Amino acid sequence: MIPRILRTGRPAALIGGALLALAGCAADAPLDTLKPQGPISRSIDSLSDPIFLIAGIVFVLVFGASGLIWWKFRDDHSTDEFPPQVHGNFRLEIAWTIGPAILMAVIGVFTLFSHFELNGEDRTDIVINVDGTATSWDPEIVVIGQQWWWEFRYYFDGLDGVDLSDPRHLPPADIVTANQMVIPVGSEIGLSVTSRDVIHSFWIPALNGKRDAVPRRVSPWKIEADVPGFYFGQCTEFCGLSHARMQMQAVAMNPVDFQAWVDEQMQPAAEPADAAAQRGLAVFEGQCTRCHVVNGINGAIDDQPSKGADLVANAAPNLTHLMSRTTFAGGIFDLYEPDGSLNRTQLEAWLRNAPAEKPAYAEGRRGMPAMGLSEGQIDDVVAYLQTLGAKPDMEIIAATEVHP
Amino acid sequence: MADVAAVDNGHGTGTGLSNNKLLMWVFLGSECLLFGGLISTYLIYRSRYADGPAPGDIFDIPFTSVSSFILLMSSLTMVLSLSALQRGDIRNNRVWLLATALLGSLFIGGQVYEFTTFLREGLGYTTSPFSSAFFTLTGFHGIHVSLGIVMLVSLLISSFRGTLTKERSETVEIVGLYWHFVDVVWIFIFTVIYLVPSPTS
Amino acid sequence: MSDTIELAAPGRPLGVYTRPRDNAGWRGWITTVDHKKIGILYGVTAMVFFGIGGLEALLIRLQLATPDGTVLGADTYNRVFTMHGVTMVFLVIMPLAAAFANYLLPLQIGARDVAFPRLNALSYWVFLAGGLFLNVSWLLGDSPDGGWFAYAPNTGVVFSPGHGMDYYILGLQITGIASLISAMNLIVTVLNMRTPGMTLFKMPVMTWMILVVQFLLLFAVPVITVALFLLMFDRSFGANFFNPEMGADPLLWQHLFWIFGHPEVYILILPSFGIISEVIPTFSRKPLFGYPFMVFSGIAIGFMGWGVWAHHMFVSGIGPISVAAFSMSTMFIAVPTGVKILNWLATMWGGKIKFTVAMLFAFGVVSMFTIGGLSGVTHSVAPADTQQTDTYYIVAHFHYVIFGGSLLGIFAGFYFWWPKVFGHLLSEKLGKWNFWLMIIGFNMTFGPMHILGLQGMSRRIDSYSPGFGFEFWNMFASIGSFIIALGVLMFVINVITSARRARHEPPVGPDPWDARSLEWFTPNPTPVHNFDELIQVNSLDEFWHRKYAEDENGRVVRVATAEEVCQDGSATDTHLPSPSYWPVVLAAGLPFVGLGLIYTLWLCVPGAVLILMAIYGWIFEPTDDPDGPHGHHADDPSDHDEAEASSEAAGETAEEAPVG
Repeated sequence: MIPRILRTGRPAALIGGALLALAGCAADAPLDTLKPQGPISRSIDSLSDPIFLIAGIVFVLVFGASGLIWWKFRDDHSTDEFPPQVHGNFRLEIAWTIGPAILMAVIGVFTLFSHFELNGEDRTDIVINVDGTATSWDPEIVVIGQQWWWEFRYYFDGLDGVDLSDPRHLPPADIVTANQMVIPVGSEIGLSVTSRDVIHSFWIPALNGKRDAVPRRVSPWKIEADVPGFYFGQCTEFCGLSHARMQMQAVAMNPVDFQAWVDEQMQPAAEPADAAAQRGLAVFEGQCTRCHVVNGINGAIDDQPSKGADLVANAAPNLTHLMSRTTFAGGIFDLYEPDGSLNRTQLEAWLRNAPAEKPAYAEGRRGMPAMGLSEGQIDDVVAYLQTLGAKPDMEIIAATEVHP
Repeated sequence: MADVAAVDNGHGTGTGLSNNKLLMWVFLGSECLLFGGLISTYLIYRSRYADGPAPGDIFDIPFTSVSSFILLMSSLTMVLSLSALQRGDIRNNRVWLLATALLGSLFIGGQVYEFTTFLREGLGYTTSPFSSAFFTLTGFHGIHVSLGIVMLVSLLISSFRGTLTKERSETVEIVGLYWHFVDVVWIFIFTVIYLVPSPTS
Repeated sequence: MSDTIELAAPGRPLGVYTRPRDNAGWRGWITTVDHKKIGILYGVTAMVFFGIGGLEALLIRLQLATPDGTVLGADTYNRVFTMHGVTMVFLVIMPLAAAFANYLLPLQIGARDVAFPRLNALSYWVFLAGGLFLNVSWLLGDSPDGGWFAYAPNTGVVFSPGHGMDYYILGLQITGIASLISAMNLIVTVLNMRTPGMTLFKMPVMTWMILVVQFLLLFAVPVITVALFLLMFDRSFGANFFNPEMGADPLLWQHLFWIFGHPEVYILILPSFGIISEVIPTFSRKPLFGYPFMVFSGIAIGFMGWGVWAHHMFVSGIGPISVAAFSMSTMFIAVPTGVKILNWLATMWGGKIKFTVAMLFAFGVVSMFTIGGLSGVTHSVAPADTQQTDTYYIVAHFHYVIFGGSLLGIFAGFYFWWPKVFGHLLSEKLGKWNFWLMIIGFNMTFGPMHILGLQGMSRRIDSYSPGFGFEFWNMFASIGSFIIALGVLMFVINVITSARRARHEPPVGPDPWDARSLEWFTPNPTPVHNFDELIQVNSLDEFWHRKYAEDENGRVVRVATAEEVCQDGSATDTHLPSPSYWPVVLAAGLPFVGLGLIYTLWLCVPGAVLILMAIYGWIFEPTDDPDGPHGHHADDPSDHDEAEASSEAAGETAEEAPVG
């Protein structure tokens, strides 16, 4: 009989004990919650590990007792006599009321310390070069969820005086990017999380837990990465049709690379040189700029609030440096092939009929609609898009593949 | 079900209350949470008046005080009608039942007047979270008062058909419980909405 | 009203007002006011919905079995997981608990029926109407897709312009009416109608747990009623409760929903706790260990359940102080729950346990709920919860609680009380297949979800890409889900074959399990009038104490056989409430009103007509039909009959308040 009870308890036993071990071998799980990559997530992890352990011990005790009961106290039909009729034991019961209460109180104290530490701020300014002047930046990034992608806005003068109360009409930012948030390593980065439409949840498990993006609420949150790398994230609050396809990554860079990234992102888009790209620009201006922004085309950095305030889901990603990112469409498609060439098939399919690639209520103005472009126009637009931003290193392309 | 017959007037039931009266108490307990939810919603939204009128701008406290007084008086007449019936005084029972229903109707009339005034002053149902919460809370209360009036009128009809006798005074008592509850809720609402200083724009 | 009868024609009601006479056949079921028949109706209906909800679960698992699943597509998937949640919570577990409460609660307190038999019938029919209404949305192609938690503003008219969320709102309002009526009725029943000698602390723990649940329902249902009204007004009339554009706070919905939603969790689990508190002592052949602790811990859970709702909102941005407070309160609700587990273990400890199928399921509850409770503790720790919430870790947790805790307990109840209800046992052999398939499939399905969640798999995603490490355990879980389905199939087969077998086998005796509580005084199946004569209760577990006593050495000796103790069901002088047409008529009006509010107000007209007609009929129908035979009604109406009639008439008048 024992094997049976063990069998029923097997997956549970995995949870109780072997989970921690299992976490170690999850190299193929980029969203793993038990593999912290920064001090914040590490402090969560170091709080939860002992609690998993305590839960595991209680589990073993209860299942051990159950096993004993199963084994020892089954009716063997040897006699017809009743077992001793015990009605209770007041002391024992008081003990197992107070015992767990004390255990919970101890867990509670550790929880409170950790909780308030995680909700505190400990940022130091980062000196970066913005348009040739050294600027002391209080590293805080505005995170905006919308159906079904993430926008990240950088204000290098700090967020004091930046009115985030109406996310559809935000003050112009120094850098606006989408789905891939770039941060410098070794610094705590503050996040101001909000939403343009429904409730989303921002989550990069390797760097911190979640924080909901609630419309008309700006919630503080923070992340920090130890070492340069790519940290995957996923919207975790159900946000409608394509909730599953609302992903993001944090790209942590060392300060030199981060400065280079800032320099590159601050450049407006250049006029395209070749004929196809020029034709593509014409199509782009006719069809795409209703929702998308390209700095220098339909918006300079200093005068362009979010575009497309008439849309339900509001803006669409700023494409000024599209090619510097490695994913598109809410972080679900690779922009580059593994060999570093453009993922033309997917990009063209997207331009041809976006709702077929990623479920959306395009007719309800949520998500990218099918634009009705001809094949020639699609080629031209792709040619134009390729002029937007610099292609990242092969190493980055390989590391951020979302759909191998 | 001889046992049920025996327990009917509350003798021998677990609580000493008849099933019907206990049912009303239990129901009113549930109603507390209904109004609790609506009052909380109002409190959260009283200062969120968007571009519309703020509560402090439009409330006519003297007027509402008068209508609140009317509703409170109806509790008194309710008590009088019950005590009349318990004495077997059918005539006075009818008079006070009618008075209660009329006072209740007067209160509802006041509410209709207040709503239309607010509407004229630019406070529609969809104007702001404040306006939605205000109309919903007071509207739910108004519906409760109206249902109470329906019950009172039913009692009156029953009385004129000769079936509302001293022996059945508990029915009046149960309707009275409901009526007093609705009044008490209004005291809360009146305090929370009107007496606590409201934000002005 | 008896008075009305006299006015119309002394002694004889008008034709339209006669009460139905048929106690047999389908008419008998539709017009019944017998708590036992209503309990069976609840059970059968809930099991049909269980089939639907289970089918939805299998579809979910098919979609997620492989990466980039294409079985359903995003839109259908969202509808399926929404309806799976709504169905399992509101149309399966709650009504199954109501089935047990209806059938057994009056028996366990020694009463002949509930306090308000017609209201009892009404609550069932309203529940059925709500369940059908919700599921009609599938046929009309616009079922809810905003999740069972329906977070605004995603469920507002801007982001959910279809009718799906309207079905959700109105469907839950309708089932809410059913729950509320039933809760009020059962509270009055327990408080007022206990048999002589049965003080509150001589009630079985199951009765206690059902009572606590009714209070939770009484106070929780109006809160969701408010929330649903506000959302409905937003969607239908342009109100601004959850519209951030006008400055509203979407978190208001979450607060209201979870103030209802967390007590709801205890509404789902406590009936099962009650069931196994009867099953475990019976088969351990020992009294329940620490009865007062079991009762008070249940009450404590009922109270504390109101102070933990915001643990569903740890990451919503409600502020660190609130999170800290709710984190603490959530941890401490583990204490009374832990007490229960330990007391069950202590009950079994030192016993002579007969591992019948009912006992196996009860044993399953203790162990599986322990896992759910422990994972619950891990996310009461707010910082840890920021990683765990909205992942499959949570899905694993609450399935261990609701499936492992509630549903397994309900199955324990099925096997335990089947003879009480149907007069024959379910097959133990098939039952063991049922149990082992279910528990193995259950652990295969939901155990790995802990791992998936900690590996970062989000809830409510309709697909996942390869490369996130989700493939293996998802496939494993999907296989497990079909093993559960097989287990449930075994139950269905068991029900059918056992019923067939019972036709040519002698009936089961009066006391097949050597049970302990009052319901076993009645023969199996329970006769329509329940008890031949009222039981005078002297102690907890009265039935057991009439069978056994302790000798001078403290040893248990039998003093009477079950046959001697049990009543034979032969009483013929008990008067029973007559059936009524009006509960079903009233309930039938509600879906029309609902559909009218969604599509065209004209549809409300037949609904309103049905409802008004039913209320009118309800008030003016005679208390019982003097010509109609019913139950073991005495042939000559005695004087106590009339006293009863007038008393019930007086009673029913006040019923119009809560109903109308």
